[in-house]
Amino acid sequence: MRLELTLNGSPVDLDEDPTATLLDWLRSLGLTGTKEGCGIGVCGACTVLGDGRPISACLTLIGTLDGVSVLTVEGVAQSEPTLVEAFVDCEAMQCGICTPGHVMAAAAAKLAGIGASADVDSEIRYWLEGNLCRCTGYETIVAALRSYLER
Amino acid sequence: MSADRAVFVSPTSLSGALEEMASGQATVLAGGTSVALLIGQRLIEPSKLVHVARIPELRAVHFDASRSAVRLGAAVTLAEIARNVELVAALPSLAYAAGVVGNPRVRSVATVGGALAHGDPRQDLPPVLISLGTSVWLSGPGGERSIPAATLATGFMETCVAPDELITGVVIPLPPGQRAHYSRFTPQSVADYPTVGVAASVRCDSNGTITDAKVALAGVASTALTVDAAGLLAGVPAGDADIAARLSEVARQAAADAEPIDDRLGSASYKRAMIAVWTRRALLACVAG
Repeated sequence: MRLELTLNGSPVDLDEDPTATLLDWLRSLGLTGTKEGCGIGVCGACTVLGDGRPISACLTLIGTLDGVSVLTVEGVAQSEPTLVEAFVDCEAMQCGICTPGHVMAAAAAKLAGIGASADVDSEIRYWLEGNLCRCTGYETIVAALRSYLER
Repeated sequence: MSADRAVFVSPTSLSGALEEMASGQATVLAGGTSVALLIGQRLIEPSKLVHVARIPELRAVHFDASRSAVRLGAAVTLAEIARNVELVAALPSLAYAAGVVGNPRVRSVATVGGALAHGDPRQDLPPVLISLGTSVWLSGPGGERSIPAATLATGFMETCVAPDELITGVVIPLPPGQRAHYSRFTPQSVADYPTVGVAASVRCDSNGTITDAKVALAGVASTALTVDAAGLLAGVPAGDADIAARLSEVARQAAADAEPIDDRLGSASYKRAMIAVWTRRALLACVAG
């Protein structure tokens, strides 16, 4: 199946099996920032943005992406340096496998406009729900997102 | 992965989708979260996929002129339901349920039609829709039909939707004097399917007498379980001194009607006990407001 999408701001034409997952395709391109964790949409390690909304790359069939703008952690590292800096400054990672997913969840939260919310702390937890971390206890990740919104 | 690639089409009209489905061999997907899981787990190997998330007729939320009902297109996402201010006000139990399914990534793309078509009795939305008296609209080669949401699922992951038929939307009545509530009980992780999910609605007339009540449960039988709450509550004043005892009767009925199984989410006997507890609480939330 031929389709066109935008990947990290650049147009891409591809001819792939439409039932392949976005996760496998990204990693085959060398974009290995997007991690495979659970493979069933639960852990959040493969979070990317599709048209600005968070999606699990492991549950996204390539065929559904015709015309969609996909943003990965590699793209965000370029376009949102303050997001990466906030995670580094808050030491919001340890082993690191969940970190790209958390960064992408944070990017989605900012795009959704939660910085203007009356209850930012609740919104932060809402948007990080379903991104699992076994190391940090989450407090530093919450702090990183709060810091990013303030930068 | 099969050697032959599946055919994948994204029609942009309802008639186009029905044409693509005419062979009866197509697998329909919208957000694709469930279909991708089934493919990934090798439970299905579809030869043709029809992606219906781009069809404008399936994407609309429409209140009728008198605001006596709302129609949700089948491809309206859970995030759109949970964050729609009008829906939050008109249908709080549905908006709440849509906002607790899975996680933000699932809710971004998963749809109301998908929740119904999947036929998984652990899904949160079907019992809520049943408790709200929802009709499900289907289109096929022979035209349109509507059925009560309670009759859509016929067994575990089985529905009465014909292979060449598409769920196009749901119509939810908005009767005056109705209060509804959804309780989702997950003793381990909120990311789990509910051990027990209870959707309830109670409708009172202007004197505060109960005229209708509906209860439906997730996770306790091979389909969403509907309980005859109206039979036990209709005609009773909501402020009656022994209303709590009446609600407990419905809760006992729900526990008796359920067919829970032992699994990771709890033993059958534990689930039965929790059905009674959470059914009573859901009804109490409706009556107490």
